Amino acid sequence: MKIMSVLSKRIGYVLIDLSGTLHIEDLPIPGAIESLQKLRDSQNLKLKFVTNTTKESKQTLLSRLTRTGFNIEEKEVFTSLTAARKLLENRNLRPFYMLSEDALNDFSGINSDEPNAVVVGLAPTEFHYENMTKAFRLLLDGSTLVAIHKARYYKRKDGLALGPGAFVTALEYSAGVKAEVVGKPEAAFFLSALSDVGGTPEETVMIGDDAKDDVEGALKAGLNAILVKTGKYRQEDENTIEPKPTFVAENFSKAVEFILNHNQ
Amino acid sequence: MKIKGVLIDITGVLYESGEGFGHVIEKSVEAIQRLQSSGVPFRLLTNESSTSKEVLLKKLHYHGYNFNGEDIFSPIPAVKSIIKSSNLRPYVLVHNDVVSEFDEFDNSDPTCLVLGDADSEFSFQNMNKAFNVLLSMKKPILFSLGKGYYIWKIGICLLNELFYDSRKYYRHNNKLVLDVGAFTAALEYACDIKATVIGKPSAQYFEVALNDLNVSPNEAVMIGDDINSDIGGAQKCGLKGILVKTGKFTPEILESSSVTPDFVADNLWHAVDYLLSNDN
Repeated sequence: MKIMSVLSKRIGYVLIDLSGTLHIEDLPIPGAIESLQKLRDSQNLKLKFVTNTTKESKQTLLSRLTRTGFNIEEKEVFTSLTAARKLLENRNLRPFYMLSEDALNDFSGINSDEPNAVVVGLAPTEFHYENMTKAFRLLLDGSTLVAIHKARYYKRKDGLALGPGAFVTALEYSAGVKAEVVGKPEAAFFLSALSDVGGTPEETVMIGDDAKDDVEGALKAGLNAILVKTGKYRQEDENTIEPKPTFVAENFSKAVEFILNHNQ
Repeated sequence: MKIKGVLIDITGVLYESGEGFGHVIEKSVEAIQRLQSSGVPFRLLTNESSTSKEVLLKKLHYHGYNFNGEDIFSPIPAVKSIIKSSNLRPYVLVHNDVVSEFDEFDNSDPTCLVLGDADSEFSFQNMNKAFNVLLSMKKPILFSLGKGYYIWKIGICLLNELFYDSRKYYRHNNKLVLDVGAFTAALEYACDIKATVIGKPSAQYFEVALNDLNVSPNEAVMIGDDINSDIGGAQKCGLKGILVKTGKFTPEILESSSVTPDFVADNLWHAVDYLLSNDN
């Protein structure tokens, strides 16, 4: 373990990735439950759990976390769907959704009459010709295109499958528009999550296992970032990004140790 | 300049899109007859990839034209000749009506993917299958039959970046749908590759059509109603381009375009008259 750069300020806010950082499927990363408690017990630290999800609602995420042994509240979770919802609310947009049924739960109460926005997540059943054409016509009429994120593909039990990024690109191409991407690694995602707890980027650290989406994204948004060597981490990942991580930790517990030591 | 070969767009030049077969454009039948009797060789150059040649010929015959199969140059025969000469094995995602055009090829262990205007065949399953077929290739080859943004579904009118115009079309008939270009873009993005476009405005497409006519670009002219796809594409390839004021033409499009046609004709008759009188 080596310190890549020196933090100047005391850390007051911590953004924490979920899958691969705290747990893998239904199993906690060893020591993560206890370390999270340590972080909670420490004075004057505010936490937010941030994750890219394109098809699971907060409730679904929370019930998995509870099952896994974590004690996390709904209001502490900020997902790419939350970011999309915030964007819709801030700009008074009425969406046409291309989202899974579960993801739709996070948009309850939003008016979607006479849509002037198209929101695209991961929803294989929604990506058919008729829906794509409907979305396209809305875009031609000036609707805003919102992408939860732009993954090229994702892993399924039966192999790789086309991700939402492909369908977002199809709509961008035909309607001549650019999508607003709301998930990690967009700077807006981190800043929006942060504004929920009231922190500034310099006094915040992001902890995650994805060098690009978690660490590079956060650093580019002006936050500090710790890369953990669990989950999807592969050897040398820290060398593939610029700027370099604030710190590279074996796991979440070591990341917490680093923060608490720094604040002493 | 002596013109030795003429390429002519179909929709918006020979007939206007509309309900059913649409309607013939005034004096276009006479213009074609005049061209045919002049002996100047020509080809009808289209991006149409969802109807077979036979159906297209019938449609043109209905409007009073007399063409035979070899007068029409369309993406499917063009891509088939590339597949043959490069010894490729195609996996095709095209309209149901034209799938049989590819029956002659061995499609086991595909080495290229052919994507056409597949209409409602563009489902997640089919797109996902196409994606996985591309991933399975050592060096993925994607042929896109045209790369249209969208189609005015009553006809085969390809519209390029002309939003002023397109919105007007859309409001009037509510039939504007996605074209193959959207799905090509999706696969290009997912696989991080570039498609080879078989259709206007790709220079390669004009070249193959000219080879078919056995004339060189500087001896040939393209007549069409789409300033970007027809005129811009032809000029980039070294042909002259004549824009007709029929089909999707609007004065606004001509004014705002960066493409300057070599001549602007009222209609096909005017264009042919200009060519043949200049010739004499």
